[in-house]
Amino acid sequence: MSEFTREEDKYYLDLTVDEAHILINLVEQLLELLGVVDIPHHYDESDPFAQLMHQLKPAPEEVATPEDPVLLRLLPNAYADPESAADFRRFTEPAMRSKKNITLRKAREALAVIVDSNSPGVVEDLDSDTWLAVINDLRIALSVRLEVDESSFEKFEALPESDPQKPLYAVYFWLGWLQSNLLDVMLSHHS
Amino acid sequence: MSTDTLIDVESESDLHISQLVDKPWVTIVWDDPVNLMTYVVHVFIKLFGFSKEKAHELMMQVHNQGLAVVSSGSREEMEWDVQRLHEHGLWATLQRDDKV
Repeated sequence: MSEFTREEDKYYLDLTVDEAHILINLVEQLLELLGVVDIPHHYDESDPFAQLMHQLKPAPEEVATPEDPVLLRLLPNAYADPESAADFRRFTEPAMRSKKNITLRKAREALAVIVDSNSPGVVEDLDSDTWLAVINDLRIALSVRLEVDESSFEKFEALPESDPQKPLYAVYFWLGWLQSNLLDVMLSHHS
Repeated sequence: MSTDTLIDVESESDLHISQLVDKPWVTIVWDDPVNLMTYVVHVFIKLFGFSKEKAHELMMQVHNQGLAVVSSGSREEMEWDVQRLHEHGLWATLQRDDKV
């Protein structure tokens, strides 16, 4: 099974073509679900001037609470009170979608190299924060579709191989393993 | 100045003070069956600069009790914390301190 390795601040992940296919498939479906909200731009998000210029973009009149349960889990309500939640959403959701978009696209680009060449390879252009964010978003998306709860691993093991959900569960648990492996690699260099 | 007036002034100022004291807001992280324990600890350290021990303790509180208060302060500060937690896939809300 593929594992992360690290040299200094660079992270590497060896992937088989099948693994790259699974990841890019999920990344692209999540991108489609989020919708294209922003064109790729040439300024740096963290640049103070760019942040100042953001104020030129007025907040939309209203941003509806997502109906899709995956989107509602990725972009949850910040308040129990619906009015405050709606206001918070109006001011924050477009930026959240945009950030997720940018991160997922970065991953898509890196994975496409392996998928397009149709031969196993090493992903080396993604930093640890990008990997963590992407793996976590994919796990959350899958967990909502699979209605994951505390007993899901036992459920997965008991499913017959012929069950159409079995491969999805397998991917979900693989992603959890991959994330855990990445966190181990990150931590092993901190201490 | 009559006693009545004094009493009035006092009760008025009491009212005024209770309106002025802005109860702090809190950020709450809720338990979910998806986020890995090690990931939650990582996010707490990254976002709030907690020690490993403190981050672990809060994560266990979320896990065992279903929720934990991870920060408190002004409403604006808590909105920022909630936004960053959401960005990292954690389920967080903010509310006035007295409701916890």
